[in-house]
Amino acid sequence: MKPPKFRYVAPRTLDDAIEHLASDPDAKVLSGGQSLMPLLAMRLAAPSILVDLQHVPGLDGIEDQGTSVLIGARVTHREIERSSVIAERLPILSSAVVHIAHPQIRSRGTFGGSTAHADPSGEWPTILLAVGATMHAVGPRGRRTIGADDFFVGPFTSTLAEDEILTHVSVPTTRTAWSFQEAAVKKGDYGLALVAATGTPRDGVLLDPRVTVGAAVGSVRRLAEVERLLAEAPLTEAVADEAAVTAAASIDPISDIHGNSEYRRKLVASLVRRAVRELTNGA
Amino acid sequence: MKKLDTHQHMKTPVVAARSVGTRVLRSEDPRLLTGRGEFIADIDVPRQLHVAFVRSPVAHARITNLDLSAIRDAEGVALAWSGKDVAPFCEGLVGEMAVEGCFPTTMPLLAGDEVLYVGEPVAVVVADSRYAAEDACELIDWDFEELPAVTNADAAAAGGPVANPQLPDNIGLNGGASFGNVSEAFDQADQVVAGRFYTCRVSAAPMETRGVIADYEWSSKALRLWSNTQMPHYLKYMLTAYLGFPEQNVEVITPDTGGGFGMKAHVYPEEMLLPLLAREVGRPVKWIEDRRENLIAGAHAHEQYVDIAYALDADGKITGVRTHALGDGGAYHLPPWSMAVEPWCAAVMTPTGIYDVPAAEYTYKAAATNKTPVGAYRGVGYMAGTFARECLADDAARALGLSPFDFRRHNVVREFPWTNPQGIVYQEGSWLQTIDALEEMVDYPAFLRRQAELREQGRYIGLGLSCFVESSGESTATSLEHGLGDVYHDTATVRLNPNGTANVTIGLSAQGQGLATTMAQMAADTLGIKVEDVSVQTARSTSHAYGSGTIGSRGAVVAGGAVARAADVVREKVRQVAAHMLEASTDDIELVDGLASVKGVADASLSIADVATAIYFDLDSWPEDFEPTLEATQAYDPSQAMFSNGGHAILVELDAETGFVRFEKIFSVEDCGTVINPNIVEGQIRGGVLQGIGASVFEELSYDESGQILTTTFLDYGLPTMDVAPPFEIHHLETPSSHSASGVKGMGESGLIAAPAAVLNAVNDALSPFGVVLRDLPLTPEKVLGAMSGAKAATGSAEGP
Repeated sequence: MKPPKFRYVAPRTLDDAIEHLASDPDAKVLSGGQSLMPLLAMRLAAPSILVDLQHVPGLDGIEDQGTSVLIGARVTHREIERSSVIAERLPILSSAVVHIAHPQIRSRGTFGGSTAHADPSGEWPTILLAVGATMHAVGPRGRRTIGADDFFVGPFTSTLAEDEILTHVSVPTTRTAWSFQEAAVKKGDYGLALVAATGTPRDGVLLDPRVTVGAAVGSVRRLAEVERLLAEAPLTEAVADEAAVTAAASIDPISDIHGNSEYRRKLVASLVRRAVRELTNGA
Repeated sequence: MKKLDTHQHMKTPVVAARSVGTRVLRSEDPRLLTGRGEFIADIDVPRQLHVAFVRSPVAHARITNLDLSAIRDAEGVALAWSGKDVAPFCEGLVGEMAVEGCFPTTMPLLAGDEVLYVGEPVAVVVADSRYAAEDACELIDWDFEELPAVTNADAAAAGGPVANPQLPDNIGLNGGASFGNVSEAFDQADQVVAGRFYTCRVSAAPMETRGVIADYEWSSKALRLWSNTQMPHYLKYMLTAYLGFPEQNVEVITPDTGGGFGMKAHVYPEEMLLPLLAREVGRPVKWIEDRRENLIAGAHAHEQYVDIAYALDADGKITGVRTHALGDGGAYHLPPWSMAVEPWCAAVMTPTGIYDVPAAEYTYKAAATNKTPVGAYRGVGYMAGTFARECLADDAARALGLSPFDFRRHNVVREFPWTNPQGIVYQEGSWLQTIDALEEMVDYPAFLRRQAELREQGRYIGLGLSCFVESSGESTATSLEHGLGDVYHDTATVRLNPNGTANVTIGLSAQGQGLATTMAQMAADTLGIKVEDVSVQTARSTSHAYGSGTIGSRGAVVAGGAVARAADVVREKVRQVAAHMLEASTDDIELVDGLASVKGVADASLSIADVATAIYFDLDSWPEDFEPTLEATQAYDPSQAMFSNGGHAILVELDAETGFVRFEKIFSVEDCGTVINPNIVEGQIRGGVLQGIGASVFEELSYDESGQILTTTFLDYGLPTMDVAPPFEIHHLETPSSHSASGVKGMGESGLIAAPAAVLNAVNDALSPFGVVLRDLPLTPEKVLGAMSGAKAATGSAEGP
């Protein structure tokens, strides 16, 4: 379990980092190494150059901007776990962060790294899609922003170009009704199913509900039918049950040694029910 | 049955317990817990090269072309070998069990014309660094023609495609026996309860993987082999027997070792290859197994199907038991334990357990499959057999409408010595007391009330019971009494120093059990000195005391016996001199609490330290013809089989939405005779039960139909962690052994032996409102949720009432 040979660079500026990344089609960004280092050790990835972002300035910090919080790509999970801004303004992130691996790994792994990795079991992709976050990227063609709906397009696949670097994520704070549910056999395990639900409560109904599922369906995706249901009905126990049934009917879960498709379908239904109940409480 | 004469080395002294029985803190811990241990990966030998293996990516194939030239040309590579290169030095390791009906195999060190399992070593590369060696491994040029992969033990045993051409019927072991009138018991039974129980394939997954360093000096023909083996002397023997290294110049060194659990009680191809490679390249070579290799190529364990049936009479008494154990052995017998030990132990050692069953019949079979060889893992065979028996006991209790406590109490052996149908004698035990103690600890009536209340709320808790009898202190006698021919003994050396302190060396390598602490307690009490005045060296090198291996719950019993016997020889010297100095008879001298005293005479005493000093430096203190050796080496081997016993009750709750099993509390009762150190015994219980929880709920080495292993990292192979570990309540019973030193019995395996049955029984108790009974491990969320949905579990042999 030793990685194959690669070149390692640790640029001091964002421009240098972009230049290195653009210099070789097999160059990859290293930002903490939570997922990339095991892939290298297992020889499942063989990048030519690793561009380590750890000395690149300007990618850190958690900034409250009023209707959103701007989170730097190099912010570690542990920093999110300990941030009072996050706890106050984005409690959904605080509730999810403890599900990410273990404290040692959370101290190394980064918010931007996990987001760009777009792991279908990832807590951040599931939540960022549910809150409608905006990704900030920079590359040889300049800066651009990408909405979460256009960012996560498949398992381990985002619309970030190979020569682009994710610098920040802007997370809206206006969705004050939220729930995050994860079913993992043991703490720190990959979840068998993840569900996130958010919306803005007004007069007993939920405006613009967004409900996402991760892990169980092989990618991170929204549950449009459930969202429609929640947008049209008051949040009651009966609606929570109906949302569960709707969710189960609208997904095509994966099967593997950790749980077959039927099991995961039931699990997602249970998590959606729990999530809608929590939204009820929040509203 | 061959009987063993009682030899001199089977007798142990009677001593006053002082430190024995107390919670002496582990002397190992300050070093190990602060990162000061030195494990094999920490050891670097000057000029060493690094070894990596090319392992088979397919389960079963004929190799049609194998070309290592690109590897040999790669940067940093010193040597690359295939099976053809190593065969002239060693054709392979013969594996078998010394029992009728066992068909041996020869496992090549590197695959020959056929690969028989994913992970089988095919080529070995020696290079400047592990990185270079692994880079070179990728350059292998080979072609193979895939053959049918045999992945299921039932199908294998029924014939069909052959897994290993050396076993054309796919059978590595086949046998059985019958004792008492079994047919009559079943013919006349009021009812028969029967079931097929499956313990899944698991890995011991020690925290430290395997590792080997070999250093050969051509000028003196001296071989030094570092290995974290549990059986250094056996490994040394094999290095001479198989490879011809001169025994007198071979030293096996066992550094600090991070867990073995049986996985490291084998001799592996890697351990045999490294010395040959070191000799060939003229430099030391080092191989540290990575986790993926450990999960794929370290011995697998515990996979077997046990069919068991009880004949019950109208009173609900068990009148006969039939057991058929079928092990999934993998591709080869792995020496010395082989694929035979798992089903053999399950069938031969476990069917009667604590129950007064007059007739027993068993068969055992090991089927060869194209999977990693199965070896020993804590409770080998005992776990599967105990699992089947104790879960069937709950089935029987349900059939009779009795509580699990009442059914067991109704059938338990109450008088000792008890001879089971096979003629095995159980000298003593607290089998009934175990049931009573557990029932009281769990407060069964209160549990039943709470269970009923929670069910009303849609919450499902369950209580599972499992009682065990554990053969301990693995010995020649145990082996002979059960029809095997293995011969064991261990030695220990004790030296009393001039200031009255002692140094002890034992022949067992330690993997974390605290042997240095418990053996200091045994020596201290025998010598009459303080435990902190004793320093124990566990086997770090075969240059010192001899040992048959840290296996079979034998460490405390066998090393303890050897230490007591060696210390007793030294004690006699001290008594002789003390008697002379105190002008008393040697027979009247007692050594206790640091003093040599004349029995019954107040004030007539000397410190043992003063006597020791006198022996070294004061000729006047010596009696006539005194010989001053204060160092003794003695052997020990128990004169008869001995059995510890106990039980666990496990309380679980099932999550009706996820199918997760949550462990609320473990109640454990252990009777290992005299307890040397409660802390250490309780540590063994906690660790063993946790491994049992793992093997029941979280762990399974999975294969697909093509024989590809799917669980190659801890991402997919789930070990239990602290957050699933519940609190324990542990109760000690002490029924001393009639013949071991201080009455000690072994107990290292009991947690894993008995916990899985308690887990399944607890889950089935919780599932009782759903009318489903599960019998296959592991109890995955999918199976449990399926059962709670009233559906038959898709993959298991779950059945309705």
